[in-house]
Amino acid sequence: MKKLVIIPAFNEEGNLEKTIQDIRENAPDFDYVIINDCSTDGTLDICRRHGFSYLNLPVNLGIGGAVQTGYRYAFFHGYDIAVQFDGDGQHSAKYLKEMVKVMEETESDMVIGSRFIQREGFQSSALRRVGIRYFTGLIWLLTRKTITDSTSGMRMVNRRILKKFTEEYPKDYPEPESVVTILSEKYKVTEIPVVMNEREEGASSISLKNSIYYMIKVSIAIVIAAMKK
Amino acid sequence: MMSRKLQIFLLIGIALVLLYIINMVRKKRLDLRYALGWILIGLVIVVLTIFPRSLNRIAFFLGITSPVNMLFFFGFCLVVGVIFSLTVALSHMSDKVKKMAQEIAIMRKDMYDQLNEQRKSRE
Repeated sequence: MKKLVIIPAFNEEGNLEKTIQDIRENAPDFDYVIINDCSTDGTLDICRRHGFSYLNLPVNLGIGGAVQTGYRYAFFHGYDIAVQFDGDGQHSAKYLKEMVKVMEETESDMVIGSRFIQREGFQSSALRRVGIRYFTGLIWLLTRKTITDSTSGMRMVNRRILKKFTEEYPKDYPEPESVVTILSEKYKVTEIPVVMNEREEGASSISLKNSIYYMIKVSIAIVIAAMKK
Repeated sequence: MMSRKLQIFLLIGIALVLLYIINMVRKKRLDLRYALGWILIGLVIVVLTIFPRSLNRIAFFLGITSPVNMLFFFGFCLVVGVIFSLTVALSHMSDKVKKMAQEIAIMRKDMYDQLNEQRKSRE
C-alpha cells in the first residue's frame, strides 16, 4: 500500500528539518512531499540542500491550493492513502501508523487527529476552542455527526476522497468545509485522539484580525457544503 | 425633450465607441464574448436616442414618473450586472490559474525525479 504525507509549507524554514526527521523515524513506510507555497524565507533552500522531496508552486495559492497540490500529486502517482501534516512542528508522526490502523478497522474514508477527545497537550487558546466548539455544534446540526476538531490539519484520506479532493477543494480555510462536504455525501469520518505541540516557530495562518472573517466565511461555507449533496 | 443637436452628438459619440470596440475585437485585443454585451448596450442607446419618446412611454408603463430616473436606475442595474459577471469570470479564471500552477509544480518534480534517476543509472 502506497502512503504519502503531504506537508504544506509557507515560511517554515525553522521547523521543516525536524518535521521530516520525525516522519523518517516514526513513519518510515510513508513517502512524503513538501509543498512550498512561494515561501519568502529559506524553505526552498532547505528542501534543496537536504534533498527533500518537494513540490515548488510557481505562484502563491494559499493553504487550500497548496494542500490540493499534494492531493493531486498523490492521486496521479497512485497513492492509496494520503495524510495532511503541518510542517510547523505541531503534529507528531507517531500517530500516523495508528491513523492507518483506525482507517482500516473502521473502514473510514477520512481519519482526523483531534486534540479535544483526550484533551491533552496543546489545546489552543480559549477563544479558538470556543470557535471550534461552535463548529462542532453547527456540523452536528447539519449532518448529525460529531466532529470535535474540524479545524485539525492532521487528516488522513483514502483514495476515494483523494480523487474528490483533486477535483475540488476549498481555497482558503479548507478544513471544516471539506469535512462537511464529505459527511454530507455519506462518507465515513472517524476521529482519533492525538496530542499536538505548540507551534515552535512561524505564525498561525489565522490571526485575530482575520478571525471574524474566518468565522463568517467558514460558517457560510459549511452551510453551503451541507446543502450540496 | 431631446434637441436635434444633442441627438446628433450622442449618435456620433456612440458610433465612435462602437467602432473602437469592434476594432479592438478585430485586433484580438478584446474577446468578442465579452464585447457582445457592450455592443448591445451601444445599440440600445442608439435606439433610445433616435426615438427619445419611447423612454417616456416605458417610464409611464412601469409607473416611474420621471424618465430620467428610470434611465439612471437602468444604468445602475446594468453596471451591477456587468460587475457581477466580472466576478464570475474572475472565479473561473482563478480556478484555472490554480490548476495550472499545481500541474506545473507536479510536472517539474516529475521531470526532476526522472532526470535524477537517469543520472543515477548512468553512474
